[in-house]
Amino acid sequence: MAAGIQIPTDPGWVDEVLLAGPAGQVCLVLAEHDAVDRAGLRALVAERQAALAAAGLAGGGSVALCLPPSLAFIANLLAAWRLGARAVLLDHRLTAFEVDQALERLAPQLVVSAAHASGGALRAFQDVREQITAHPGGRPADTPHALIQLSSGSTGPSKAIGRCASDLIAEIDRYLKIDGVPRGGERIVSMASMVHVLGLVGGLLYGLHAGVQLVLPERMTAEAILAAVAAGPEPTTLLGVPFHIELLAAVADPPPLPQLTGMTTGGELVRAQVHDAFVDRYGIRLGNMYGMTELGVIGTDLFGLHRPAVAPAPGMTLREQDGELHIAMEHSPYVGLVDPARWSDGWLHTKDAGSVDPDTGLVRIRGRRDSQVSIGGLKVDLSEVEHTLAGLPGVDGAVVVFGKAVEAYVVLAAGAGLDRIQELLCERVAAYKRPRAWHVVDKLPRTATGKLVRDQGVLATVPSNERI
Amino acid sequence: MAEESEPHRAQVVAMLATYGERRPEEVPETVDSLELAWLVHQIEQRYGKPFDVDDDVLARMTTVGGACAVLAELGYEAAA
Repeated sequence: MAAGIQIPTDPGWVDEVLLAGPAGQVCLVLAEHDAVDRAGLRALVAERQAALAAAGLAGGGSVALCLPPSLAFIANLLAAWRLGARAVLLDHRLTAFEVDQALERLAPQLVVSAAHASGGALRAFQDVREQITAHPGGRPADTPHALIQLSSGSTGPSKAIGRCASDLIAEIDRYLKIDGVPRGGERIVSMASMVHVLGLVGGLLYGLHAGVQLVLPERMTAEAILAAVAAGPEPTTLLGVPFHIELLAAVADPPPLPQLTGMTTGGELVRAQVHDAFVDRYGIRLGNMYGMTELGVIGTDLFGLHRPAVAPAPGMTLREQDGELHIAMEHSPYVGLVDPARWSDGWLHTKDAGSVDPDTGLVRIRGRRDSQVSIGGLKVDLSEVEHTLAGLPGVDGAVVVFGKAVEAYVVLAAGAGLDRIQELLCERVAAYKRPRAWHVVDKLPRTATGKLVRDQGVLATVPSNERI
Repeated sequence: MAEESEPHRAQVVAMLATYGERRPEEVPETVDSLELAWLVHQIEQRYGKPFDVDDDVLARMTTVGGACAVLAELGYEAAA
């Protein structure tokens, strides 16, 4: 790793890299009047560490966190790492069925979930009372990873992604070296989920390390986001996904916010007119970031100078291979079943179509080469949704595509009703992955060789018996 | 509880359609969390006042029909 942070090799990294700092320094603001300073966070982490240890978690152990964004999530994660255990993050929006699948596959010894959560629609964070339960059949960690995250789905190979403490530290170090990233004493108002890599490393972990205050708005509304910015005088950066640019660009007359210095989003680019409307309205830089769960931040254009391209982050080596972007990565990040088409010979195959400019090194990303789509920053594997749907009793065939939303074309078995099919899918697939539009058809179009057609132009011509 | 009305429905669908440049017929009946944030903002802009409601009211706005019923209940008049 490049110079910057010395990599500790034991759980001491949590204190050294994340928790160290002046006791009275506010590091988290999860509500306008609920600021947490470092002394408070350290005490909370110690308390959760004691609870997890009492439940049997030890160095080399494993725990799954199935918690909404909350102080409880942060405290339990840091406590697990401080014990030297491996933490599996499960998005709290997953269904019980999906959580069970993940637990069966990753076999953590303990599961921390919400016994009670204050949550409501549009809440950026929740007050959570957590519970620790032992997971039958759980095993200690069988890899050196500190963190396991699920990619766009929970089944199939190369879906469980592991990162070692050193990988996380290396990513924090990259952020330190990127011009345009907020520095100590500044604030990040984050709309990016802290369960996923951008919000977790780019917001929470980097913020803790660099002394950047992490602020979550009270609600994910435009008004609350701008109120969170206005609540402090420190230079402030917004961190989110493209939707938030669109939301904030739609504010006709935002209040003056002299402390707002920029906004950074991960994910696909917004349309040029939305970009221009945002810059015109707020007069600040609008930056874009390219990253993956496997590696974290890979490339950035934080000043909007290279749009639509990004410059590789320090230490990242990218190449184009048959139209696909590959990134140098010494070891495979995948845990369990590995698809060789995702990592081989020291290269991560991103499945992103793209190119690297031989003269400037700038990287263009031109969309996915597989069935993964991004919905509000959350990755959804359409093929997983399609397989689940096609496997339901009462379904004779299904194709799931993404236009402006996830859409399903489904052939029902004789006597089957769409209501029941939707009900069954709700049990198996998280809400954000489910089809928003349904077309019941007699027959799905196929190619001459019998393959299902996924071209939306063709699908749109298939007569529907029922359309929702 | 107030029932949704046709003018409310047309208005809610029109407000949702402005997100992602959709046609009204492309707006699904379900309202996801991003669309809800969008809808809240559109309501605030259209009526010129904060839409400051409790979580349980927002929780009922996860369908177009539910959002219409809430607007009618809170006395938000649908545009003619």
